[in-house]
Amino acid sequence: MKEISLWLCLAWLGFGGTAFAQEPPTEEQPQSVEERLDELDQKVRVLDRKSELDKEQAAEKAKTAGQATAGKDGFSLKSADGAFQLKLRGYTQLDARFYSGDDERPANDTFLLRRIRPIIEGTLFKIFDFRIMPDFAQGQTVLFDGYLEGRFSPAFKVRAGKFKPPVGLERLQSATDTFFVERSYPTSLVPSRDVGIQVSGDLAGGGVNYAVGYFNGVPDGANGGDVDAEDDKDVAARLFFTRKGLGLGIGASQGSTTGTVTATGLPGYRTPGQQTFFSYGAGVFADGDRIRLSPQGYLYAGAFGLLAEYVQSSQEVRRDAVVEELENEAWQVAASWVIAGGEPSFRGVNPKTVFDPAAHTWGAFELVARISGLDVDDEAFPLFANPASAASAADSLGVGLNWYLNRNLKVMLDYERTEFEGGAASGDREDESVLFSRFQIAF
Amino acid sequence: MRLKLALLALLLAGPAFGAVQLLNASYDPTRELYQEVNAAFAKQWKAKTGQDVTIQQSHGGSGKQARSVIDGLPADVVTLALAYDVDAIANAGLLPKNWQTRLPNNSSPYTSTIVFLVRKGNPKKIKDWDDLVRPGVSVITPNPKTSGGARWNYLAAWGFALKTHGGDPAKAQDFVKRLYKNVPVLDTGARGATVTFVERGIGDVLIAWENEALLSVREIGKGQFQIVAPSVSILAEPPVAVVDKVANKKKTAAVAKAYLEFLYTPEGQEIAAKNYYRPRLPAMAQKYAQQFPEIKMFTIQDFGGWTRAQQTHFADGGIFDKIYEGR
Repeated sequence: MKEISLWLCLAWLGFGGTAFAQEPPTEEQPQSVEERLDELDQKVRVLDRKSELDKEQAAEKAKTAGQATAGKDGFSLKSADGAFQLKLRGYTQLDARFYSGDDERPANDTFLLRRIRPIIEGTLFKIFDFRIMPDFAQGQTVLFDGYLEGRFSPAFKVRAGKFKPPVGLERLQSATDTFFVERSYPTSLVPSRDVGIQVSGDLAGGGVNYAVGYFNGVPDGANGGDVDAEDDKDVAARLFFTRKGLGLGIGASQGSTTGTVTATGLPGYRTPGQQTFFSYGAGVFADGDRIRLSPQGYLYAGAFGLLAEYVQSSQEVRRDAVVEELENEAWQVAASWVIAGGEPSFRGVNPKTVFDPAAHTWGAFELVARISGLDVDDEAFPLFANPASAASAADSLGVGLNWYLNRNLKVMLDYERTEFEGGAASGDREDESVLFSRFQIAF
Repeated sequence: MRLKLALLALLLAGPAFGAVQLLNASYDPTRELYQEVNAAFAKQWKAKTGQDVTIQQSHGGSGKQARSVIDGLPADVVTLALAYDVDAIANAGLLPKNWQTRLPNNSSPYTSTIVFLVRKGNPKKIKDWDDLVRPGVSVITPNPKTSGGARWNYLAAWGFALKTHGGDPAKAQDFVKRLYKNVPVLDTGARGATVTFVERGIGDVLIAWENEALLSVREIGKGQFQIVAPSVSILAEPPVAVVDKVANKKKTAAVAKAYLEFLYTPEGQEIAAKNYYRPRLPAMAQKYAQQFPEIKMFTIQDFGGWTRAQQTHFADGGIFDKIYEGR
């Protein structure tokens, strides 16, 4: 800056100085070159100082200005103190399903938009969070999450709205983080989304997580509507312990529901290939207690991950004057081996490198395998379900390869084979073999 | 029984053994004053109660500091440039509206006034306020919209103009307008203006707190500046107050109150005087009388109090905006 000042002085002397020599001084003009130099020096100093103050003000303003960010975790607006935030996130899953050997029960090979879910999340007054997540896939618009949560302390949070009740382990895992393209049978026996209120929190430094909620109550695997058609409600609770990659816990729900012949309040169960293999017969509806119990756990150690879950779901059902409590159960054991580029976790694989052929980095690769099964109570047949069309059990074996190109892009390729007990006019229903693929973008 | 009494004694004595921390949100030029006050008070409090106390300082333009406290800066005490800023905090519900009655002298433990700091030899021959409106005199003063000190400067000039023009507000406005025409740069706070004048070498005269001017003459730019006392100035009464809502929440109300009361003690008054603030205690005022020139002073009450002065002069659309617009 001193150099600039010097050049300005010289320039001024070259031009203004000449003028000064030619014109007689007026009352307002400096009387000497020294005075004019002083004046110019002051002007330069003032300009410097103004520039300095502008920078100080800009720095001060930056401290109190909100921030807009864009990155691998989505897009966000945030107030300077972090008390107010708005995040735009989302994910899209573009799937393909190809069935083989489906001669007796043809299933359509298809490409499909499995999930298209924009997520609007935010924070108000530092402790109140909200989340809105609709799904636009498969030709319909459905609200999956819509809730407000007050984080009063790590040990005490209150959530109200529509969200996942605290029962099933794999259900509580994000759809973007599952080992396989489709979730397994235990998830079919627990509620998907329900409307209610929940208290939850982390205790013992995060080693113990509890959640207790009071919900409208929904059939197994169902995404509940916004309004309940009956007075009966479900209580759901879960206690989960975690330590160094090991997580063990139990989830449960208890409630009661009364359906009708047209609105049965009963579920149907589907294969991993999303084909219905069990449904209740006509005239059968829920009428009484509904209880679920699910011991569950996972272990993540190094490149390996293991997730196991068992669910027992009992429901009193009625057909005409006959009421029976049916007890269905499902289980799964799923394993993951990240063969390169990362480590598995309940929140998915975060690749250590991103896919960049020029840099010879390829992201992360994961091999997965799963065995699972669902067994329908034998008492369901033949009064409550038709053994000629509804299978009494399904057992599946699946393997897959997942490629994490980066934190946002994931490509999946699975093969899953399912065997059934019953479900055909004679003998067992034809085995199901499905090849899945998925291209997922999540941010 | 003995065990119970011992436990009770431990319970009562417990707070005395735990360290406590205060935050003092102050205005721009009080850094040196409160560094010294904090050390002395901590020593006295430790001797009296056995408790360690640490006082953190936050400095900025007085109005800006008040806004920060209202917006959530967890200050246990505020020591600001003018009562209007503490009133704003009271209006936000953080302390009672009668806060000025809780400590002596309207909760103002020391005073100051507004003087001129000029360069050595006083090359522009500045003697009084009317010299500041002469063409070619460059005046440094901060922005009254952001600085409490600047508001005192402005009102001191206004008061002089009223006095010399027979109380005609139009003439006073014209006078102050001409004065601000000579201001080449407006800093946001008093300390910034001192930096502009002393360190950056800009301007012929700095309108300054007396304490800031004395500090510059005797310590920052020794031998480079001199003080000019104008014929008349304004009595500046910087107020102090406990921010009850914060102090109660942090359980620091007692120590915060003691901290402010310390300012009225002979030791606190002497520290103020040594930092060039005019002490209230007569004995101390007499002891340091030589350091403070005698100046005729009017008070903020001559302007109808701070609320009225603020509305008339410094609120959006007020006289200062009219004076300064288009510059």
